[in-house]
Amino acid sequence: MAVDPISLEIFKSLFISVSEEMGVALQRTAYSPNIKERRDFSCAIFDPEAQMVAQAAHVPVHLGAMPASVRAAIDAFPNALRPGDMVILNDPYLGGTHLPDITLVAPVYAEENGAKRLAGFVANRGHHADVGGMTPGSLPLSTELYQEGTIIPPIKLIRGGRLNKEVIQLICRNSRTPEERKGDLAAQIASTRVGERRLQEIIQRYGNDETQEHMAALLDYSERLTRQAITRIPDGVYKVVDYMDDDGLTDQPVPIRVCITVAGDEITVDFTGTSPQRPGCINAPQAITVSACLYVIRCIVGEEAPANQGCLRPIKIITPRGSLVNPEPQRGVAGGNVETSQRITDVLFSALAQALPELIPAASQGTMNNLLVGGHDLNRNKPFVYYETIGGGMGARPTKDGISGIHTHMTNTMNTPVEAFEFAFPMRLKRYAIRRGSGGRGKYRGGDGLVRDVEFLAPARVTILSERRKFPPPGFHGGHHGETGENVLLRGGYEEVHLAGKETLDVEPGDVLSIRTPGGGGWGAPEDDE
Amino acid sequence: MAKTIVGIDVGGTFTDIAILEDGRLRVHKLPSTPSDPSVGIMKGVMEACPQFVDGGGEFDADFVHGSTVATNALLEGKGGRTALITTLGFEDVLEIGRQNRSELYNLNVDRPVPLAPWELRFGLPERVDHNGTIVEDLLPEAIQTCVQLIEEAGVDGIAVSFLFSFLNPAHEEAVLAALEKLPNNPFISISSKVLPEFREYERTSTVVVNSYVGQIVSRYLTSLENSLGKGLRIMQSSGGSITARLAADQPVRTILSGPAGGVVGAFYTGVQAGYPDIITLDMGGTSTDVSLCPSRIKETTGSQVGGYPISVPMIDIHTVGAGGGSIARVDAGGALVVGPQSAGADPGPACYGKGDQITVTDANLVLGRMLPDNFLGGRMTLDRQRAEELIAELASEISLSVQETALGIIRVVNANMARAIRAISQERGYDPRQFTLLPFGGAGPMHCCDLAHEMGIPRVLVPARPGILSALGVAIADIVKDYSRTVMMRGDDINRTQLDEEFHGMEGLAREELEKEGLPMDRMVPQRFLDVRYVGQSFELTIDYPSPRRRIDTARMRRSIADSFYRAHLQRFGYADRGEAVEIVNLRLKLGLKMDKPQIVAGQAADSGSTPALIGEAQVVFSGGSVTTRLYDRENLRTGDQISGPAIVLQMDTTVVITPGWTGTADDYGNLVLETE
Repeated sequence: MAVDPISLEIFKSLFISVSEEMGVALQRTAYSPNIKERRDFSCAIFDPEAQMVAQAAHVPVHLGAMPASVRAAIDAFPNALRPGDMVILNDPYLGGTHLPDITLVAPVYAEENGAKRLAGFVANRGHHADVGGMTPGSLPLSTELYQEGTIIPPIKLIRGGRLNKEVIQLICRNSRTPEERKGDLAAQIASTRVGERRLQEIIQRYGNDETQEHMAALLDYSERLTRQAITRIPDGVYKVVDYMDDDGLTDQPVPIRVCITVAGDEITVDFTGTSPQRPGCINAPQAITVSACLYVIRCIVGEEAPANQGCLRPIKIITPRGSLVNPEPQRGVAGGNVETSQRITDVLFSALAQALPELIPAASQGTMNNLLVGGHDLNRNKPFVYYETIGGGMGARPTKDGISGIHTHMTNTMNTPVEAFEFAFPMRLKRYAIRRGSGGRGKYRGGDGLVRDVEFLAPARVTILSERRKFPPPGFHGGHHGETGENVLLRGGYEEVHLAGKETLDVEPGDVLSIRTPGGGGWGAPEDDE
Repeated sequence: MAKTIVGIDVGGTFTDIAILEDGRLRVHKLPSTPSDPSVGIMKGVMEACPQFVDGGGEFDADFVHGSTVATNALLEGKGGRTALITTLGFEDVLEIGRQNRSELYNLNVDRPVPLAPWELRFGLPERVDHNGTIVEDLLPEAIQTCVQLIEEAGVDGIAVSFLFSFLNPAHEEAVLAALEKLPNNPFISISSKVLPEFREYERTSTVVVNSYVGQIVSRYLTSLENSLGKGLRIMQSSGGSITARLAADQPVRTILSGPAGGVVGAFYTGVQAGYPDIITLDMGGTSTDVSLCPSRIKETTGSQVGGYPISVPMIDIHTVGAGGGSIARVDAGGALVVGPQSAGADPGPACYGKGDQITVTDANLVLGRMLPDNFLGGRMTLDRQRAEELIAELASEISLSVQETALGIIRVVNANMARAIRAISQERGYDPRQFTLLPFGGAGPMHCCDLAHEMGIPRVLVPARPGILSALGVAIADIVKDYSRTVMMRGDDINRTQLDEEFHGMEGLAREELEKEGLPMDRMVPQRFLDVRYVGQSFELTIDYPSPRRRIDTARMRRSIADSFYRAHLQRFGYADRGEAVEIVNLRLKLGLKMDKPQIVAGQAADSGSTPALIGEAQVVFSGGSVTTRLYDRENLRTGDQISGPAIVLQMDTTVVITPGWTGTADDYGNLVLETE
C-alpha cells in the first residue's frame, strides 16, 4: 500500500506512541528521583539509516544528540549490530552530550521470509545523578573531559540477548551512588525492550516495507512543514551576538555569534565568530548546537510536526571546528549541555526576532541553574547525591506576559517536591518562592525568577553551574531586561557570601545556600517610558 | 420489599433519572437546566415518581446524584474568592507547581491561573520536619494577624496547607480553630483533613480546589436535600457515593462524578453478563473516556482537572479528544487529521445543517453507518447530501474517493482511540486481548467492532441502554468513604503492631465521622491498603494490607508486603527486583457499605411480543466496499437472537454497527454480545 494522507496520520500516531510508551516505561521503573520525579530523559525511534523518526516530547536538548548517538553506535559496530544487541555510550564526542547522560541504543530487526532484516533503532537517554568525576553530580568545573567522570565509548552492553554485567559493575563502581545507577540502567534496558517490541508489532501488522515507507514519509512530512514555516520568515540576513558570563575559570565573557540567512524555504545558521573553545567546562559538542537549532525551528513550525530529522533538512548549520559550539575532543563539556545550549537558543531567537517581531518572545532566564550537592548522610548512613535545575522567568511574549518560575527552552524537568526532598536528603528548604519584581518591565512583563534557599544538615560539597549572573536576559522592542540571577551563601545562616555563577564549595550544617534565578526580558516599551 | 433507589445523572444536555424498583429499572430523560440543575432534577423526579408527589415528599426512596456543579465551577472559573495559608516561604508553591510547562514547543503556552491569587496567599512562620517534629513553633499572635487580614480581605473560601502537616497536624488545627470564629461562614478546609499525604504541591492544589468550589457546592446540595427530603447521596469521583453532607464538606471528591457513574454502570453490566474484565469506551461528541476494569474498578490518585492536580481517589479514566463531533481536515503537511477540535453540539457536524466542518458523524452518515432519519429516535433528520458534498471537496483535495476519505476519517479517529486504549492497557501491563470492550455514549457502539479489531479484542458487549449507563451507575453505587495518610516507613522499620495501630486509629476516626451520618455502622466494611514503592522511588503501587485476622508477626508481615509489591511491580512493569528493599508510603482505608444490586431483567425484550426485529436493508460501506446490510430494531430483539455482520442495529440512544466477520447475540439482560469469528 502506498502512502496516503490517512496512512501517514496513522503511522505518525503509531510511531509517536512507541516513543511515548518507552518514556512511560522508563519513568515508572527508574530509580533515581532525577529520572522519576524530574523526568530528565528522552526516548526516540529511528530508521535503519539512523534518521530520527519520532521523539516523545521530553527534553529538547536531547533532540539533536539522540541521532548522533545512534550514528556513533552504528559506526562503532559496522554491520555488526545483531538482533538482541544493545549499545551503551555517554562519550560527548561520540554521540553523547555530557557524561551523566547515558544512552542505550538497540537495533530492531524484522523477520522476513525467515531472514532478519534491519528495520530501525530505538534509543533512550537518561540523566544519571552521578557518574564519578571531581565533584558529586558529575557536572564539575573541569578543565578537561577526563575530570568529569566515567567516559563510556559505544560498547555492547547486551550481546545477542546476553547482558554483560561487568559493564554495569564498572559503571556502578565509578559512581558515588551505585545502587541508583543499577536501578536506572535496568529501567533504561526495560524501556528499550518495550520500544523494540512495539516497533516489531507494527512491522508484523503492516509489513516491513510499509513501515519503512512511512518512516520515510514522516521525515518528508516534517520537512514539508518546516519549509512552509521558513517561507513565512522574510528573506534576509539576521545577525546577533550575546555573551555567556564566563567559563568558570576566568572572568572573560564568552561571545556566541550567529548569522541566520533566510532564503525562500531554506535557512543557513552560521556560528562563525563565536568564541573559540574554552579551557573551562562550557564547551558544547556539535550535537548540542544542532539540538538548539532543531528546538528553535520546531517552535516556529507549530505543534503538529513530529520532532524528527526531516525538520533539519532545509537547514544548514555552520559550526567552526574548535569553537565553543563545536569543540575538539577532550575539552570539558559539563556545562555545554545545560548552560551553553540555553545561550545558543537565546541568540537564535534573538536573530529571528528581527525577522518575526510579532512572534518571538523576549529572552527567558537563559540558564538552568544547576545545583549539585553530595556528601554522606549520617542518619541514613549512606552517600547521597542531589541534582536539581531551577526554573526562572520566561521572556514576555508579543501578546502576553512571560510565566514566572518555569523551565524554558532546552529543558522541561520538574522540581523535586519539598517534602520528597526532605525525606530523601539531609537538607531542609527554607524558602521556595517567586522572586517578585525580577522580570523585565515592558508592554508585557517578563516572568519572575525563583528563590530556592537550602539549609544543609550535614557537611556537603556543592557545585553550582549557572549563567545570567552578569549579563541579564535582554528585553525586546523596548522592553526592559530581566534581573540577573544571584547565588548567595549564608554561612551559619546569616553571614552573607556572594558566590560566582559557577563555583564548587564545601558547606557545613547550618549553612544556607540561596539561589535566586533570573527574570525574563520584557516585550515592548512599558507605557510609562518616554 | 427493597427500598426504591433513584439515580440522577445531570449531563450538559440531558438529565437522566434511573429508578430501581423491585429489581426493575425505569428511565426518565429530560433536558438539563444548566443555570440551576436542581430545577430539572425536581421536575424529572416529579414526572418519574408520582409517589413522590402523592406522598407529600414522604416517598420512601434513596436519591443518589451525580453532580457536575463542582466540575463546572472549577472549569468555568466560577468558584469563590479563595485564600491560602501556608508555611512562610512557600506561598508560591501553588503557582510554581512542578516548574515545567505543559507544551514543549509552544511559545504561547499558558499556566492555569492559581485559584488562590497572590494577594490572598499568606505565609505563617512555623515548621514541622520530615519526622513530624515541630522545629519552629507557630505563635498565636501570627495566627491572629493572619485571621485579621483574611477577615479584611473578605473571602468565600480558605485553604490551609502547611509542610509535613500529615505527620503533625497541630499547627493546621490551631489555625482552623481561629478561622472558625470568622463571621460570614467562609468555607474552610485544612490539608491534614482533606488529604494527609506528602507532595506539597499536589496536596495544596487539592485542598485549594476544595475550598474554591466549597461554598457553591454546599449551598447547592443543602437546597437540593431540602427539596428532596432526607436520604440524598452524592456520587464521588472514586465511584462510591457518600451522604450529601459529607460531600458538601469535601466537594473536591465529587469533581469527576459524571464519568465515574458511567464506569460503575458499565462494570456492573459486564459483571452481570459474565464478563468482569472490561475496557469501557464512552464516546461522546467531543471526547472519549476509556477505563480498564480487571475484575474491579481501578482507581488513581494522580489526576488533573483543568490543569489543577487533584489527588483524591478517582476512577482511573483516560480521556482523548476524539468524538462524533471531532473535525477532520488536511493539515499543512498533507496528513488527514481528526480532532481534537470539535464542532460540538452547535454548530455541530455538517449534517446538522448549520456548520460546514466535516466531522466523524458526517463520515459515519456518508458510509451509511448512521441512518439520517433515525437520529435521536427520529427527533432530528440529518442532511446526508450536505455531508457528502463537503467530504467530496476534502476528497478531491487529497485525490481520494469520497468513500476512501470517509473511511479514512473513521480509521484516523479509531487510531486516536486505540492509542488511548493502549495507554490504559499495554502501558500498564495489561493485554487488551484478554478484555471485553464495553462501548457506551452516543457514538461508542458505532466504532466498537473496528476498534476491537484494531486492538485484537475478541468480544464487545453493547449494553441494552448505552445512553443511561451513568444514571444506572449512580443508582447502584456503593457507599464508600476514603481515608489516607502518609507514614513513610522503610523496610526495616515496618512494624506490624504500629501499622495495626495506625489503621485502627484511622478507622476509629472514620467511624466517628460516618456514624454522625446515620449510616448502619455494624454493616460498614473496612478495606485496608498500602501504597508501597522501592526505597527512594517516586511511584507507589497500591497493594492489599495483609488481613488483620491472620495472626502473623512482623517478619512475616514484611515478607508478605514485599511479595505483594513484587507481584504488583511485575504485573505493571514486567519485572521486579526481589532483592531491593521497599517502603510503605501511604496507608489507605475504605469504609464502605455494599448496596444490594438489583438483578435487572431485560424488560424491553421480554415484553416485545412477536414483532420481528429485522426491519430492512441498506447499503453500508465497510473497509471491503459497499455491502447490502440488514437493519434491525433493538427494541424487538429477544434473548438468544443472533445477528451476523454486516448489520446495523437501531435504537433510540445509539446505533450499533456490526462489521463483517462479527456476530451478535442478545443475552438475558438485553445486552448484545458481539464476537469475532
